[in-house]
Amino acid sequence: MAASINLSDSERSSPNDQSVSSRSSNRSLRVAEKERRKNEAEDPFVLALKYFSDVEAGTPLYGNDDFERNLVLVEKVAYSRGLPPEAISIMLEFAMSLRMGSAPCVRVLKCLIPASVVPQEAVVRAVVWLGVGKIPINTQILFIKWVLTVFDMIDAKDQLRAIYGFIFSYVTEENLCPFICHLLYLLTRKESVRVFRVRKLLELQSKLGRQPFLLHLLSLYKVFCPELVTLSIPSRMRSGFRNHISPWKSALIAVQKRNGPQVASSMSLAFTTMDKTSSRKRKHCHLQIPALRPVVNKEAPADQSSSRKVVPLVQIHSFAQLLENMHRIELPAQMGSLLGSSLALQYLDCVQDESALLRLNFWLGYTLHEEFLFCGDGGATQNSEEALQFLNKLLSAHHFLQEGFSSSEAFLYKFLNFWDGSLLRPQILGLLSNIPVVPSSQIGRLLFEPLMQLFFTSSLFFKCGLMECLNNMLLKWLTWHSVYALEDDLDISLNSHTSINMTLSGFKDSVMELVRFVGRLASVGLQIEGCHSLFLSFVLDFYETVCDTFLKYGLPLVVMPPSGVFYPALLATDPISVDRLAYIMHRYKVNLTSAKAQEKQTKQAFHISRQTFHEFNHYVVVMVSCLWNSKMFQPGLGIQLGEELLLKSNVPQYWASFDLIHHPAFMSYAVDFHQKCWPGKKDMDLSSIKHSKPWSWYLEYLFTQGYDGLKQFVQSNISRQLTAGDGQGDTQQR
Amino acid sequence: MERLQSSVVRTPPNSTVVQRRSKSYRQSYRSCLGAPSRLGLTPGLTARRLNSSRRALKSHVITVSHTNPSLTIFYVLLNLQRETLNGHVFYPVLFLLKEKVNPEHLALLVKTEWRLSYVTPLHQFRHTQLKRYSRQLSAFIAAEKQQGVAMEVEGSQSGFRVSFSVVQGLAATDDDAETVLIQIYSTPVFARQDEPQKSVWSGWLTCINGNPEYLESLPKGFTCLPLFGGSGAEVLTSLVKSWFQRTFDCCFGPLEINHTSLQWLAALWTNCHTESNLQHLKMIWTLPVVPPLQVTYTVNPQDAWELWMSVRKDRLERTEEEAEAGSIDIEEVVRFVQGLKSHFYRHFRLDLSAGNLNQVSTTLGSAKSSGKIKISNSRYMITTLTLLTECALLKMPI
Repeated sequence: MAASINLSDSERSSPNDQSVSSRSSNRSLRVAEKERRKNEAEDPFVLALKYFSDVEAGTPLYGNDDFERNLVLVEKVAYSRGLPPEAISIMLEFAMSLRMGSAPCVRVLKCLIPASVVPQEAVVRAVVWLGVGKIPINTQILFIKWVLTVFDMIDAKDQLRAIYGFIFSYVTEENLCPFICHLLYLLTRKESVRVFRVRKLLELQSKLGRQPFLLHLLSLYKVFCPELVTLSIPSRMRSGFRNHISPWKSALIAVQKRNGPQVASSMSLAFTTMDKTSSRKRKHCHLQIPALRPVVNKEAPADQSSSRKVVPLVQIHSFAQLLENMHRIELPAQMGSLLGSSLALQYLDCVQDESALLRLNFWLGYTLHEEFLFCGDGGATQNSEEALQFLNKLLSAHHFLQEGFSSSEAFLYKFLNFWDGSLLRPQILGLLSNIPVVPSSQIGRLLFEPLMQLFFTSSLFFKCGLMECLNNMLLKWLTWHSVYALEDDLDISLNSHTSINMTLSGFKDSVMELVRFVGRLASVGLQIEGCHSLFLSFVLDFYETVCDTFLKYGLPLVVMPPSGVFYPALLATDPISVDRLAYIMHRYKVNLTSAKAQEKQTKQAFHISRQTFHEFNHYVVVMVSCLWNSKMFQPGLGIQLGEELLLKSNVPQYWASFDLIHHPAFMSYAVDFHQKCWPGKKDMDLSSIKHSKPWSWYLEYLFTQGYDGLKQFVQSNISRQLTAGDGQGDTQQR
Repeated sequence: MERLQSSVVRTPPNSTVVQRRSKSYRQSYRSCLGAPSRLGLTPGLTARRLNSSRRALKSHVITVSHTNPSLTIFYVLLNLQRETLNGHVFYPVLFLLKEKVNPEHLALLVKTEWRLSYVTPLHQFRHTQLKRYSRQLSAFIAAEKQQGVAMEVEGSQSGFRVSFSVVQGLAATDDDAETVLIQIYSTPVFARQDEPQKSVWSGWLTCINGNPEYLESLPKGFTCLPLFGGSGAEVLTSLVKSWFQRTFDCCFGPLEINHTSLQWLAALWTNCHTESNLQHLKMIWTLPVVPPLQVTYTVNPQDAWELWMSVRKDRLERTEEEAEAGSIDIEEVVRFVQGLKSHFYRHFRLDLSAGNLNQVSTTLGSAKSSGKIKISNSRYMITTLTLLTECALLKMPI
């Protein structure tokens, strides 16, 4: 039987179970019917229990109608609702004390279905009876199986642990041994592991051979006291103990269903999972995250004798336990193992120990180097599936901790020089976006040079991916800044684990370098890819981050996009790009205005250069005269073409060809609007929209199409003089 | 950057790694050079050598005052690629063994072919706990050998016996951790009662003249023994490695001896010819042609010596310090190997520069590019191990 039985769907698992469960449900139906009738009279169940608690030893069993009637009663209650704690105590005591011989024992044990909890005292007493009475061996086994099945429902375990030695003495009983080992496994704590017990188990092992139950118990002993016992579990051995729920399974399910989910939650079965060792042999096994193991060589004994008891991380199985033991958790033997479990990651977040982090970084750095840099025979490509999983795990750890490991950062700087840009691209770019702020004097060589080479030689998708990655990188840097910036001395720690401090101006320089670099990449990239709208969209994503650095992240830095980005966006054929550009320009304006206001207010000059204001104003003028005023190609604006050339092109009114009506991105809207506005009109004259009234309707129409960026841009930059009548706006220059 | 460079006064740019100890755990980014040449790095990258003694070394330490420690680290990382062959590289020729080295231990180290690995620093390794480690490792081996049978750690074990010992006096400087020797004995299957246990595996962990900057940058609790050599059954090697990994949270990676290091060794051994006869200088080159061509090139030791002498720098050119250290310059090594190559070309019209040096052997020792080395004369033990320690440190991930 499988180690894990899912209770909820086990009813349809096999025909065998089916018959059992249907039988029991028939029975429970009958029981329920009778029960209703009985409830009217005085409660006969209480009387039945009284009979079993009072019945004298030696009472004959055969032909005893009282016994039969009462037991049937108890069984009915047990199979329908489960037995209350006191009933469990009484029935267990009755059975194990053999007051009516061993014959009813099995029958009683089988009906011990707890309704809520099992009182610990009852179990302890029963264990004691195990030593006193002459209970047949099969019944003894059944009893232990029952304890294992209801283990999680026992209300407390302290007394059971107190008689650990007593229970341990049963391991010598050959038939009981597997079940006793399981029970001991559930009860073992560090104090219970003693040299003589280890020796006893080893002695048994030499007698019985390699038995899984002995190994599982011994491996738990090893977890607690690795200095006493060592072993390695063969990979093909099944992990965990089997469970012994079968005699009670259907009844438990029925009771559980009836009693609702509050019992169901406590019904997690008493079986344990052990660390699975993959059986597959690999040539390069460095990608395996080591298993959590406790430290063998503990620190000096002075440390142990002190009252501070440590808990190995292996023993922590839930978040609640983690919280409870946070102050005394012992780090595992191999720090790399922390990456393997989500619970351990929670703890890693709190680890302050520098050398522990160094250990982790040694391991991680070694693994990455061996797999991707040193591996001569193309290791990374050979087992890319494993590499993929490993990097994904690493990435999720990064995301969880919200920062990268320094060894993966150092690795990336080297790897970027050898990377072909396609091997495990999403993962590598993901790792790259997590690197902390690089000093501006080094950023070029470490990041920009290799990235530039990759960028210009790779496909459109790589370009988009890199743009997204750099955007994420910038976002993380800005977030670090806003989180760690200390208000007084303007120093920021870049990373909670490293204490490398950077001055604010140093940080600003790095950010500026990054933004400018992306600007260069984007300009050339747009040119190479023919202003591909997918790529443009990633570029605009980046500038949506850049335009808000002051207000969102409190960094007094505003960098304008280069014209290589601005014009392709302005003249894009899709309205969304133009709309996003308008939004970005709007945000720039809001940021610049508030920066200026703050500068005036605090008299603290953080100096956004005149050049930036100039660039911004220039862009706004261009946008307004292009989209609004129909003054494209005027001297002094960004785009200039020779007069003759424009005339030669035979475009009528070329100066208006990029206004909101004739702009290739908005033309279809203008046509649509024209048709709606003058449905009867045969000949289409788009210029008629230019008149004051239809123009404002047209704008309304555009805004209702969801072009909020445009709307905000217009509202913040153009003050319309409706009285002027011709729809001419006026730019606000600062 | 300006400041950094200007501070490098009369210092060979490649003599030392500049590291500022920050509180953080990112000590060094140097290891980018360990990558094999297939990745596009020039094979001569590991040619950086450290100076012989700490006293001499001090004059080579680049002192940088900079607010950001990582800057200097980056600087080193980036400059490594350039500082390959053009700078002065000093290499101490001869370290004589101190007398206190146990001759029995020394005898174990020579005349065995070792397979090399690099090891990241060991956590919580104590030279005082070797007895305990012996017991643990033997129990571990026994448990691994018999999968699924538990072993008592403290109890007496049959089968394998492990002994850890310290090779006193091999360490060259105060920063070097003492060398640790591991031997595994086993009782032969059909042994008589009184027959002694046979040594089936041996290995060592060492650090000779390790880069003091790196060693000092490690926090307390770490022991840096970066060079591991093992000899014996592969199974036992991997068991020993995995026990170390689990116990001291370290990692083992294969250590190849690259082209440049092999050339170094060839020059080094040739340089010793007057003291102890080489008998022959044998080199194996592989040339990337189809079918692959292997060239075994054996040189008369006297001829090699004369060639070597002819390429040696004029003594007068050397500064006092260099002469005192008896150092070899990488330029000399390059010229020496170039001389050997052109000699070969003259006779066979085959340019060995197109190929790779795979193996060098003399009576003083032999080395293979796969990372196997045999040191036959204990006099040159330290010198060779210094070179290998350096190679191992260059492989460190951080």
